[in-house]
Amino acid sequence: MAHEALFKPIQIGKLTIRNRVVSTAHAEVHATDGGMTTDRYVRYYEEKSKGGCGLCICGGSSPVSIDSPQQWWSSVNVSTDRIIPYFQNLADAVHKHGGKIMIQITHMGRRSRWDGHNWSTLLSPSGIREPVHRATCKTIEEEEIWRIIGDFAQGARRVKEGGLDGCELSAVHQHLIDQFWSPRVNKRTDQWGGSFENRMRFGMEVLKAVRAEVGDDFCVGMRICGDEFHPDGLSHDDMKQIAAYYDATGMVDFFGVIGSGCDTHDTLANVIPNMSYPPEPFLHLAAGIKEVVSVPVIHAQNIKDPTQAERILEGGYVDLVGMTRAHIADPHIIAKIKAGQTDQIRQCVGANYCIDRQYQGLDVLCIQNAATSREYMGLPHIIEKSTGPTRKVVVVGGGPGGMEAARVAAERGHDVTLFEAEPQLGGQITLAAKAPQRDQIAGITRWYEMELARLGVEIKLESRADDAMIRDLQPDVVVLANGGHPFLEQVPEWGYSDNPDESLVVSSWDILGGKVEPGKNVLVYDTMCEFSGMSTADYLASKGATVEIVTDDTKPGVAIGGTTFPTYYRSLYQQSVVMTGDLGLHKVYREGDKLVALFENEYTGEHEERVVDQVVIENGVRPDESLYYALKERSRNKGQIDLEALYAATAQPTLAESGEFALFRLGDCVAQRNTHAAIYDALRLCKDL
Amino acid sequence: MLQTLLPILIFAALAVGAAGAVRRIRLWRQGQRTPMRWYRLVLMPKRYLNDLHHVVARDKAIAHTHVATAGGFVAAMALALVVHGFGWRNPILGGLLLAASLCMFIGALAVNRRRIDPSAKLSKGPWQRLSKSLLAYSVGMFLVSLPLVGVAPTLLGGGVLAIVLSAVLVWGLLEMVVGMGWGGPMKHAFAGSFHLAFHRRPERFDDNHADAVHDVHRGSRSTALFPLDLTAKTLGVEKPADFQWEQLLGFDACVQCGRCQNVCPAYAAGQPLNPKKLIQDMVVGMAGGNDARYAGSGYPGIEVGKHHGGPNAPIVPQLVEAQTLWACTTCRACVEECPMMIEHVDAIVDMRRFITLEKGETPEKGAAAIDNLIATDNPGGLDNASRLDWAADLEMPRIQDRPEGVDVLLWLGDGAFDMRNQRTLRALVKILRAGGVDFAVLGDEERDSGDVARRLGDEATFQRLAERNIATLSRYRFARIVTADPHSFHVLGREYGAFGGDYRVLHHSTFIAELFDGGRISVEAPAQAETVTYHDPCYLGRYNGEFAAPRQVLAALGLEVAEMERSGYRSRCCGGGGGAALSDVPGKARIPDMRMEDVRETGATTVAVACPQCTAMLEGVVEPRPRILDIAEMVAAALVEPATASTTRTSTEAPEEVPA
Repeated sequence: MAHEALFKPIQIGKLTIRNRVVSTAHAEVHATDGGMTTDRYVRYYEEKSKGGCGLCICGGSSPVSIDSPQQWWSSVNVSTDRIIPYFQNLADAVHKHGGKIMIQITHMGRRSRWDGHNWSTLLSPSGIREPVHRATCKTIEEEEIWRIIGDFAQGARRVKEGGLDGCELSAVHQHLIDQFWSPRVNKRTDQWGGSFENRMRFGMEVLKAVRAEVGDDFCVGMRICGDEFHPDGLSHDDMKQIAAYYDATGMVDFFGVIGSGCDTHDTLANVIPNMSYPPEPFLHLAAGIKEVVSVPVIHAQNIKDPTQAERILEGGYVDLVGMTRAHIADPHIIAKIKAGQTDQIRQCVGANYCIDRQYQGLDVLCIQNAATSREYMGLPHIIEKSTGPTRKVVVVGGGPGGMEAARVAAERGHDVTLFEAEPQLGGQITLAAKAPQRDQIAGITRWYEMELARLGVEIKLESRADDAMIRDLQPDVVVLANGGHPFLEQVPEWGYSDNPDESLVVSSWDILGGKVEPGKNVLVYDTMCEFSGMSTADYLASKGATVEIVTDDTKPGVAIGGTTFPTYYRSLYQQSVVMTGDLGLHKVYREGDKLVALFENEYTGEHEERVVDQVVIENGVRPDESLYYALKERSRNKGQIDLEALYAATAQPTLAESGEFALFRLGDCVAQRNTHAAIYDALRLCKDL
Repeated sequence: MLQTLLPILIFAALAVGAAGAVRRIRLWRQGQRTPMRWYRLVLMPKRYLNDLHHVVARDKAIAHTHVATAGGFVAAMALALVVHGFGWRNPILGGLLLAASLCMFIGALAVNRRRIDPSAKLSKGPWQRLSKSLLAYSVGMFLVSLPLVGVAPTLLGGGVLAIVLSAVLVWGLLEMVVGMGWGGPMKHAFAGSFHLAFHRRPERFDDNHADAVHDVHRGSRSTALFPLDLTAKTLGVEKPADFQWEQLLGFDACVQCGRCQNVCPAYAAGQPLNPKKLIQDMVVGMAGGNDARYAGSGYPGIEVGKHHGGPNAPIVPQLVEAQTLWACTTCRACVEECPMMIEHVDAIVDMRRFITLEKGETPEKGAAAIDNLIATDNPGGLDNASRLDWAADLEMPRIQDRPEGVDVLLWLGDGAFDMRNQRTLRALVKILRAGGVDFAVLGDEERDSGDVARRLGDEATFQRLAERNIATLSRYRFARIVTADPHSFHVLGREYGAFGGDYRVLHHSTFIAELFDGGRISVEAPAQAETVTYHDPCYLGRYNGEFAAPRQVLAALGLEVAEMERSGYRSRCCGGGGGAALSDVPGKARIPDMRMEDVRETGATTVAVACPQCTAMLEGVVEPRPRILDIAEMVAAALVEPATASTTRTSTEAPEEVPA
């Protein structure tokens, strides 16, 4: 049988888990009702269970104490009995489909923000500031220690009374328990610091109190780090010692292991490895812990593929694999494997849109799957065939929005034709995938290509659709997702011209798309501060160019999320790319065989010049609107999307009308937004076609 | 002159024919002997007129032809013996003789019409000659009998005309009487009569048998393989003389009508098997010689005339190639169609037994499956303890926890290890729960039923598995066994009896139909109308006669079934039975592809199946193709689930329950 190891049930404590796949704890940012699990929250986990996931550990960083702030990430509030009936809902929803559900409970200590909500004073063993959250804190006192130990026990009781299957104590990511463990943070000289036993004491007292409260039969695990990757922190050997120490108590039912500490931006990027990392980069650390403990070990970091997961399990490195982002991209992984539809799995590409939103306190969403965490709105993961009339749907543009529109319309059973001007599908994803370390983003396109082929969508490549071509197909619905072009004409002084021989500047698309050879000494001017500019700089440097990337914003890459800008910085600094902020590009002019770029400092007005042989500009996308205006008048809805219906994710009223075709446009051909926005609009627009 | 000649001719023909018949009986008795009980010959007429004719009558034209020809001949022969042989020249008898000859003549004309440009299934050679011989006999007998009623001129009795007439009659008598004893085409009447009387499966003729059905059959579906005595000197059949003598007799009864050839899936797929040729090869082997005189279609890809055999010469490979035997799917389509009630599948399995047990030459993946069965009790070589892994989240009731007994023991079969079939099993569990069925499973105490081992000829492994399963089952109490696997259904229900395991076994389609009948489950109408067809699994339909229940279930779902041309007892095999999917003998086409073509011809978008093997084979057909769903999946999807006591709370309602 295929994937035998993956589907082998396992006992954790007294609990039987139906397979080896876990959605590990992460902050969902969905418990927006004062830390109570909302309908959205429940449906998000129900979908995973329906999709076959063995075990969900929900509620990353759910606080047990009122001074561990809950609101920043809308985590689950385990500090009050009010949560218990909500847990019962959650447990019922997951159990109904055969899955098991636990929750991570914690006190985050210093790892939070204090400047809001209850304005808590954060606590830490020795009052040392945490850099990632810029969090200052007080030194914890003995009374507070015992209070929090009691809070853990009460939190665990609430989890048990709520009918969840277990709880995971967070001793990872530099929460309070591992703040006590780590000599980097714990400088105490009393019984709570110093020697190994003293540093272990807090966690041990928590474990004992929790066990005493919930009894022997309730599942209690610990999530720990495999190596903090700080010279003054806990090494892998330290962590093995710690794991063995707690395991010896017989009170821990499982260990979850994560490679890397995370109290700096650089180490944080390790914790949720983005697409620049190899597969399972820290598996060896989890395997090291498994060597010394007697209970099952869970490991999640960059395990996205069922075959990869099978290989890891077959090798016996760990007992369960966390496929958390993999489930965010597709909660039906297991069901699809079982249905022989492995090719239909939408695989996580490691864009980290989910986690980067979470670190901004925004709800976790998937860059490519707009239904994830919107199950409560009725956005479907499995699209039902329409029972209404079969429509002729024409989609213009094979970028993410167009591909999603075509996919959804075809799943609804309609006859779909997709026009794409380029020789391949993907739109801007194709360009994004050209950059070093960013190739995996092409996985989004790969999945769509396979799905569109499976669904029998007619794809016309190298076909720039015009009015006549669309008219010939006699469409009922036309969806425009034809994108735009690099917006270089905004400032005439930049010297951009349609004629490549005359233009003084080129676009990031020209460079990444290979239309223009990289120069030797290149200036990248980036007003967006997102992936595109950084990718262009990285690409140029990797081709041997000397590169400076300049922005009028505060720093290049400043709009990129917390788990991804570090990997860009690693690469750019290594290649000596100069990153300069606060300079606006005023003018570009030719001087001999060189180009002169004239900058003005945003704050002083002082001018600076750079003499280079190539100027690359990343100034966002200007929508291409001509086709839209050519079709708009003839369309029965005048190209207008009913926003009430769109936001409610219900059928567009014009679909019930007759007459000429209905016309919709989405994605960057309306205004530049991002991949997720285009896919989300396409899904909610087309799901009721 | 004729008056003198006729008795001589008739008695001479009878004498020579009888000598041939004695020799023929000796040929049959080369086989493994059971006592020759002559009195059983009295069973023959009823078996012929009732059971055999029931099969023949599926083709009305040939049935009528045969009644006229054979009836005419038998009557004409009997009367000729009296009138011409013993010289009782009574005009009334003469009139009857004329009528009988005329009747035979009319039948013979129909036979001759069939023989003008004969269809591919028919053998030619002597069989073409027979059609003319029938004319010769009937015309000759008619003419020589005309004087009896005073119609014909006396000149018939002398001169050249008499010589000509005598020659025609001699021709007729040689074919009809001498040929019958000496292996001409008319041998079928003689051997066929004996075969009916001494048939190895008398249940097939027993209208009062417990599981006799009266649809397309009379009598019982006697389909269990015969147990092999594992202490015998030679295991299985190596040479023709190793067959039971009744089997040799059965082979000899073949009329080479080619009905088996027409329905054989392996033959249609261009695999080197033709049941008709196989039976004729057995006849060659029994009598000694080569197959050069065989005048029908051969085994696809194997030249006719290059093989030879003898009663004590090994069959494989000089008479029959091993791949011919391994191409068989044991679907029993040939047996079902055979008007002479010959048992092809028994013979093939007997020969496979020798290859597997004595020579260890089971081909391809068959050998691996047997090794696995020996090592792990399942053909996939999987850890038997993982048999319930797929149901880890279903909290399956175990029979070990139910000492008081349960109504239904759910037999999972080896599909429990297959991800595709696990979906069917999950659907079935859902249905059982919705119907409030008191059921339990054996869990890791269940072993493979032994079906595939047995069909691959490994009777030893089969018997070991059967005995262990029977010992396990004997420890628990249950009213009946339900299984979604027709192979387990057949083996447990029909073949374990010989080893002391007698159970009431139901296929899940039967059980689900029962749940519908009892109003224990209800379904909602399908959202969208679609065309559905149903594929009858061989081991459910032909082997066990269950054609109705799956169709009842589909009807209960509100579905119209567009039947395939080959459905019911004439269903075409999926290609997966009898270990054929493991031996994987190459052909020109794949059997499941052909079956999918049958499906496509109905315009169905879904083909309902009722067997894990059929599901696997049909799903192996490349897409696009109709989707394949087990009837359990179709029912489970449409189930209206009984309202549970606790309605699901939603978190929006939750605050009301929250303590202040």
